[in-house]
This record gives sequence, C-alpha cells and structure tokens, in this order.
Amino acid sequence: MSTHNVPETFSIPVGPLHVALEEPMYFKIDVQGETVSHVDINAGHAHRGIEYLTTKRSMYQNVVLTERICSLCSNSHPQTFAMAAEKIAGIEVPERGIYLRSVADEMKRITSHLFNVALLVHLVGYETYFMHMMQVREIGQDMLESIFGNRQDIGAMCIGGVRYDLDDKSIAYIKGALAKIEAEVQDFIKTFKTNGAILRRTKGVGVLTHADAITCGVVGPVARASGVDYDVRREAPYAAYDRLPLVVHGATDGDVWSRAVVRLEEILTSIDILRACLRDLPDGPVNINDRPDIPPGQAVTRSEAPRGEVIYYLRTNDTPQPERVKWRVPTFMNWDGLRFMLQDAKVADIAMIVNSIDPCLSCTER
Amino acid sequence: MSRLPQDLEARLAAAAPAGVEFSAETDSYGVTVAWCGLAAAADLSPVAALLKELGARLSMITCTMPSAPEEEEEDEDDDDSEDGEEKAEAAPKETPKSFGGTPLDGTSYEIDYHFDIAGDALTVIAYVPQGGGIPSLTPLFRNADWHEREMMELYAVAVTGHPDPRRLFLDASVDGAVLERLVPFSTLVNAASTKGLWERLLAGKKGAA
Repeated sequence: MSTHNVPETFSIPVGPLHVALEEPMYFKIDVQGETVSHVDINAGHAHRGIEYLTTKRSMYQNVVLTERICSLCSNSHPQTFAMAAEKIAGIEVPERGIYLRSVADEMKRITSHLFNVALLVHLVGYETYFMHMMQVREIGQDMLESIFGNRQDIGAMCIGGVRYDLDDKSIAYIKGALAKIEAEVQDFIKTFKTNGAILRRTKGVGVLTHADAITCGVVGPVARASGVDYDVRREAPYAAYDRLPLVVHGATDGDVWSRAVVRLEEILTSIDILRACLRDLPDGPVNINDRPDIPPGQAVTRSEAPRGEVIYYLRTNDTPQPERVKWRVPTFMNWDGLRFMLQDAKVADIAMIVNSIDPCLSCTER
Repeated sequence: MSRLPQDLEARLAAAAPAGVEFSAETDSYGVTVAWCGLAAAADLSPVAALLKELGARLSMITCTMPSAPEEEEEDEDDDDSEDGEEKAEAAPKETPKSFGGTPLDGTSYEIDYHFDIAGDALTVIAYVPQGGGIPSLTPLFRNADWHEREMMELYAVAVTGHPDPRRLFLDASVDGAVLERLVPFSTLVNAASTKGLWERLLAGKKGAA
C-alpha cells in the first residue's frame, strides 16, 4: 500500500475554531497514524484583560463585572469576589442570605453539569439522547429564568448577601422542577451504566491517573474522577455548606466515563442540597441593605464552582477601586491534565476528551 | 482547629533563614487562612520544597505592584529662614520598606504564592525589587507553569529557571509588562477596528509586492 512516500507522523491542528470546541483553543497535536503522540496547547484567543479592568471599577461595579467573566459559572465569580470583600470589611451576611447563596450556587451547578454531559453524549454520536438531555436541562434553565429573570448571568450576588428572595410560590415551583430533573438524572445515570454506545466510546478513554492528577493540581470533577477526594464545599466551607447534606462523589478510573458519572451524581446531591436549603430557609433580610466602604486590606477566598475550586485574591486600598484582583478558575488548572489524557488517544476521541474536562476558556484567559 | 501542621511557623522559619513574618486567622467555619512573608526572595525555593513535602497543592500565583504609600502632607507653617536647613534634614526621605527591606516605591513587586494544605490556605509572599528576579517553582510544582508564564507577560519580573518561558496569552509581537504601562484602548482593540486592520493588511501587501 505505501508505495508513496507518506510519512507516518503528522502534526494536526485542532482549533482554535473547531466544530467540536465551543470556545477557541488551539491544540497542536502530533499523531503517529491514528494515535496522539504529543500535545501542545496554545492559548490566548479570548484574552480580554478583565484583570486590569477590575482595578478601574469600584468594588460594587466589580460584582457586576466579575459575573461577566464566564457564563456557566457566572454565579461563582461574584460570590467569591463578594466573600473576599466581606472578609476585608468584616461584613456578616444575614442567615437567609447565606442559604440563598447556596441555592443560587447549586442551581447553576445543575444546569452546568447537564450541559457538559449532554455535549459528551453529542460527541459520542448519540444525537437523540443529546437532545433529550438538553431538554431536561431546559427545565433547569427555565427555573433560573423564572427565579432570577435571566438564564445565564443571574445577578444573584451582592457584597453583603444576595439580590433575590424566594416566597412560598417560588419555593413550590422550584421543588416541582427539581422533582422532574431528579427522575430524569436518575435515568441518565442508569443509561450511562448500561448503554453500549456510551460505554464503548467513553470507558477507559482519556485516563488521568491519580498520581498525574496530583501532579497537575487538577480540581473539581476532573480531580474527583481520578480519586482526589477534594471539594471546597467540604474542605473549606462557605455560604451554608457547613450544615447541608453534602456528599462528595468520586471515582478511581479517571476516564471520560467517570468524569461524566461524577457530574451526574453531583446533580443529585445538588438537588438534595437545594431541598434542604428550601426546607431550612431562615427568615430575615437577604442582605445587609447597605454599601459600606471596603477598608484597605487583603483576602483570599475560595468556592466550589461547577468545574472545581475558584480562588480569589483581593487587595484593597483607600480608594473605591481595588488595588489588585486576581482569580484562578478551575479550568486554568485542568488544561494541563489534557496532556496526559490525550497521550496515546485516538484522533477520533480528541474532541470528546477535551470536552470531558468541561473546559471554560473565557474563564481561563479572562 | 487548624489543619495546618502545629509547628508550621517554626518549620517555615527554619526553611527561610532570612526570616519570616507569619500570621494566621481561623474563620467561623473553622477554615484557616495563613500568610507568610519572606524576608528574602531567595528563600522561596526551600520554603516551596518544605510545602511540597507537607503535601501542599499550589493553587494560584498572584503578582502585584503595590502602589507607594501616600506621602503625608507636611504642614509647612513657620520659619522661612530655617527652610534650607530643614530641607537638608528631610532630604534623605525614607522610602517605606516591605518586610525584608524591599523599597515600596511603587516599582517593586509582591508575588503571592497561594497554597492549599488539606483545605486550609497558606499564602507565601516574596518581595522583588524592580529589575529583580524570582526562582521558578515549576520544577517543584508542575502547575506553576502557566501562572509564571502569565506573570512574565504581565510584569517585567524575571522568573529564573522556567523550563518553557514562552508567552501564554499574549502574542509574541506585543511588548511585555502590559500591566506596568498604559495601553491606550485604540491600541488594545487594533484588530477590532475594521479600517485599521484593512490599512495594515494593505500596507503589508504592498510591502510584500
């Protein structure tokens, strides 16, 4: 067959704009036949300089700005930023506000995880099931729109609490929506454990070993699927997580399948947490109803976004603008894991493996 | 109930012979946030090696350029005659210094290494004067890689011993240290201005032909 002098080793570009990637990232992939031998990641296609911009905005404007860094974890940014400001100023968030923060957090987590797992099914090639999963996610998106008035940037957080409240009617509505999602997600897990098409494409594919996960410092479901038992909600609680029924899910195989199943199981836990929040929701104000000046100081705060640990460093001075705001999103850490996951993978699996870290580029590059 | 080792401060001090400035605070959730300033930036490597041994995870690296503390207004209300003498006395005006003696004149850097130890946070702070450098942590903590590359393109900090010191987000054609100077908006969005982009393309074409 090889009468022509065709080299066995190629270098193929995946991205920056690629049908299977939602956001621009450029992978320079060396392949030997059908097998990946080396991966180079080239970032910078969505770098917007938001870190610089935060120092030109007041503390209160930055709550709005940080929400716009990303869409799927848009709630985690202003929340962690507000936590840092509250720490510096010694602001105590009212009890009801604390619970409502967890409510917003978990609602966003449900829709974020469903989006990622649905896309995985799409990349597997199981289109009808993909559409069904997105339809279920739509219940969650409707829930966000009904409660917050927006599907993505929900504008729930403010320094000193939250900007929304729930009444009996909305609580009953959320409970109804959760019941629908729960039944469907239980079905998804069953399907993931039995469906031949999904199992064949995702089991044992894109493996990140426990040791490599520690070396790369990956976080979130990517780490937990590789046996790293870490969840900020449990290790460093915030909002109301110290009194909610949190179960940290994990797996040991570290493959695409494990990461998807960990996310699906986390949705069920999010539903349990939401129910507990709605049951125990204390009365009282939802925020401090004040905009105090934030004194000079510095703080480090963390929270568990859908993709893992978000960390914020905030330094303030005598001016209304912060002196420095720096944050690191979970995906920033998780890209490196791809080098290990893609090693010796098949070309046809590249898009699926990239999707399995639930990449968020706008977050990474700011 | 901190999850940090009981003797952490002593061990940090032993690893950093030039001295450390340690403080820790535990919040109502029982989460401890500790800060450790280093008197000498050269002590960073042994301190990082100690933290690696303790099983710490590097979470983030922040580089900042702290602004100089505002000068206090002096009330010059009397004695014109002694003016010359007074000035001579006040001339060697003390620049405020960080812990360890790096001048805080608005040109030096503060580099914060945020670690996670079993859920508690420890921030190691190194001070680097303008034109100075800091050893790379990438050989110890693989995930310091991108943080250090980003730091190198945002500030004129030299990171020594980095295995792959390429640009991370910014193109190689962009001048470095972008957070240290004013980049006009029109320059920043060069490619977003249709006319400017066309003009550049046409000029390039002419040059090529």
